[in-house]
Amino acid sequence: MSAAERIQALAPVSGRRRYTDTMMRGLLLAATIVALIPLVLVIYYLIKRGVGSWGGSFFTSDPNGNFFGNPGGIRSALLGSLEIVGLATLIAIPIGVGVALYLTEYGKQSLFANVVRYFVDVMTGVPSIVFGLFIFIVLVLAHVGGNFTAWKGSVALSLLMLPIVVRSAEVVLLLVPSELREAALALGAPRWRVVFRVVLPTALPGLVTGSLLAIARGMGETAPLLFTTAGAFGLTFSLSQQMNALPLQIYNDILSPRNVVVDRAWGAALALVTLVLILNVVARVASQRSRMA
Amino acid sequence: MQETRHQFRELLKGLEQQTLSALDLVIGQLDRALEAVSYQDVELAAMVVADDDRIDGRYLEVHQGVLSLLARQAPVAGDLRIAAALLHVIRCVERMGDQCVNIAKLVPLSGYEAPKDKDILDAIERMGQAARTQVGEARDAFAGRNVELAKDLVRQDAEINALNRKIFRRAVEVGDDLEMREWAMFMILVARCLERIGDNTVDIAEQVVFVVTGLFRELADASATSSESHLAGA
Amino acid sequence: MIPPETTSQEQVDMSTSGGRSEQTSGDPSERSSGAPSEQSQAAPDMSALGVREGAGHAIKVAGLHAYYGQQHAIKGINLDFPANEVTAIIGPSGCGKSTMVRCINRMHEEIPGARAEGSVTLDDFDVYAPGVDVTSVRRLIGMVFQKPNPFPTMSIFNNVAAGLRLTGTKADNLRERVHRALRAVGLWNEVKGRLDAPGIGLSGGQQQRLCIARAIAVEPEVILMDEPCSALDPVATLKIEELIDELKERYTIVIVTHNMQQAARVANSTVFMLDGEVIEHAPTNTIFTTPHDERTERYVTGKFG
Repeated sequence: MSAAERIQALAPVSGRRRYTDTMMRGLLLAATIVALIPLVLVIYYLIKRGVGSWGGSFFTSDPNGNFFGNPGGIRSALLGSLEIVGLATLIAIPIGVGVALYLTEYGKQSLFANVVRYFVDVMTGVPSIVFGLFIFIVLVLAHVGGNFTAWKGSVALSLLMLPIVVRSAEVVLLLVPSELREAALALGAPRWRVVFRVVLPTALPGLVTGSLLAIARGMGETAPLLFTTAGAFGLTFSLSQQMNALPLQIYNDILSPRNVVVDRAWGAALALVTLVLILNVVARVASQRSRMA
Repeated sequence: MQETRHQFRELLKGLEQQTLSALDLVIGQLDRALEAVSYQDVELAAMVVADDDRIDGRYLEVHQGVLSLLARQAPVAGDLRIAAALLHVIRCVERMGDQCVNIAKLVPLSGYEAPKDKDILDAIERMGQAARTQVGEARDAFAGRNVELAKDLVRQDAEINALNRKIFRRAVEVGDDLEMREWAMFMILVARCLERIGDNTVDIAEQVVFVVTGLFRELADASATSSESHLAGA
Repeated sequence: MIPPETTSQEQVDMSTSGGRSEQTSGDPSERSSGAPSEQSQAAPDMSALGVREGAGHAIKVAGLHAYYGQQHAIKGINLDFPANEVTAIIGPSGCGKSTMVRCINRMHEEIPGARAEGSVTLDDFDVYAPGVDVTSVRRLIGMVFQKPNPFPTMSIFNNVAAGLRLTGTKADNLRERVHRALRAVGLWNEVKGRLDAPGIGLSGGQQQRLCIARAIAVEPEVILMDEPCSALDPVATLKIEELIDELKERYTIVIVTHNMQQAARVANSTVFMLDGEVIEHAPTNTIFTTPHDERTERYVTGKFG
């Protein structure tokens, strides 16, 4: 049979295949659209209901507890979130990366390392409210350094962020090719130098991405803050006092009988989502830039 | 499941077979050349001359084949020694073929009805037999990688050398008859060709030793043996 | 272990050897040519490293056993690696050649569960003696790996300097040493204009030469090479082989290779290993024309594995 004849003979089969192919494409596209709908709706609602509050003194004035008149903006919440999560980051990331370094460079497959990994995995599944309750009992009720304070909220958040940092950091560190470690060791470098001068710099982009994702998560958690920071209206920079935060503000405002306050809640929610979005974009850009370098 | 480098081994074996069968061709040529000498058969002699083309062709085939093998298959160790030996041996084969041609060419020159001296003729026949045996044994030694047989060829070659000298002396004393003398001179040349064939078989024997042991030693030094036997007054 | 007079000798020689200034205009290799071409490739030049005192350094392996957990990978090896010679190690996959070489600079024990016993002496110094600092051993016995592995976050310059920096070696003439190492491997002309470019931006063959420069910048005595050309194209391979030929003037070289033709080309002597044992160790010529052991013959002629 000539080549042309064989192709002719194949034609009917390929017709059927083409039909199946289009069917599958259609089905997958439909599934994607179905998944996207709620996401789009959420964003739509957020923007629709929240963007109206933006403007004026929304970002420059603090919320006040008044029942009448201008309810104020979300400045203290925004700054409070940044502060609390900032401190949580300072706690969670060094410790988290340290744990990950131990697991990949020193512990490896030892029994202890495997136990640690197991517990970290368990921690990722613990509901955030449990962390809040834990800190509530251990720090707040015990009156350690005050009652409700911002830094206790940071500690609670850091407990939440820690397993995320550890897991993502471990993945990234494992991705560093072992040949690099070998090359550095073969040059006669002590192991700690290998870790800090070769492994960490190579893994840095991935570590940054993982950390930013943990921060984004921390930004949005409400439950841990409820029992630790408890919230406030006024702007304060002291971490040993109660502090406002965006999730707390939203929680407080959404059930208010006053419409403007409810609107403020939507505005705050939009601000929170925007903040998280910005962090995600920054994470992606940072990791791509370093990959291209 | 084929052995590794199957194609390579087949190629190498094929080249060896070609070389060995070329030795068989030489034996055939030698037989017919000797017959032509014994019976003054000019037509047979002409056939021998014509058939040498086959041996020359075989030489080119093996030579090309070994070059190609070296270039493409990079043989080492034992295989490399075999390849190198084949180049050497096929050269010897070609030379032996040429010697048979030389013998054949001498037949018409020595006259149609030449007077024959019995001693010389006997000696030539014995030389011919010895040479033929040696070529056969060289072939067997190479095919069987038989070092003992190879070394024995040196001993046998000494006999051919002795016969060569005997023919020479006899030819010198053969008498005053011009035609007889002429014929005797041609017989000397024939003897010399046979002696060269013997030397070539010793060369092949040396290659056998080389393939097996990796050492290359001259198994017989031509100058040494001739001087030795001169002193011995054989 | 590096005798102090060597270092100062080199410093003195650097100043007197003439013409090795840092500015490109003063570079004799450029002065001689008409228009310096950016891509011109200088031959590897060991003289760039200055004069070296004393004879080379030989390695003796005695009674070496190596284990991966319970698996007995190296079963009692005794080998001599003569100074300033290239010794190749060949053998089928899994015969233990890489393991053995990694025992020489004590990299084998970095693998979890792996250990080694026996003695490996560099001149008179046994690297397995109790109390020996492993990092010092590795400064004297350098290693080049199969896959070129320049540090991705470092520039070309920093890659070559990495050995010195990672070992905490104080070097006043760091720049000089980096430049000399790059010259010695024949990379200088190709990279001199872009020493700050990332190390991973080079081609495979250049990366491998960069790794070799990195290894020699710390001035080892011995260079171990574990299939250094496996990941390279034939042209790059030949360049590295040429470099190896130059390198042996200064260093003792051990090269593991699964490419027998490469062993045949570069090595003075060759070791054939099988199942964790040394079967034959002989001059390369002997191994490839008249090997003594039947198993060597079968391996090099391709009758197995």
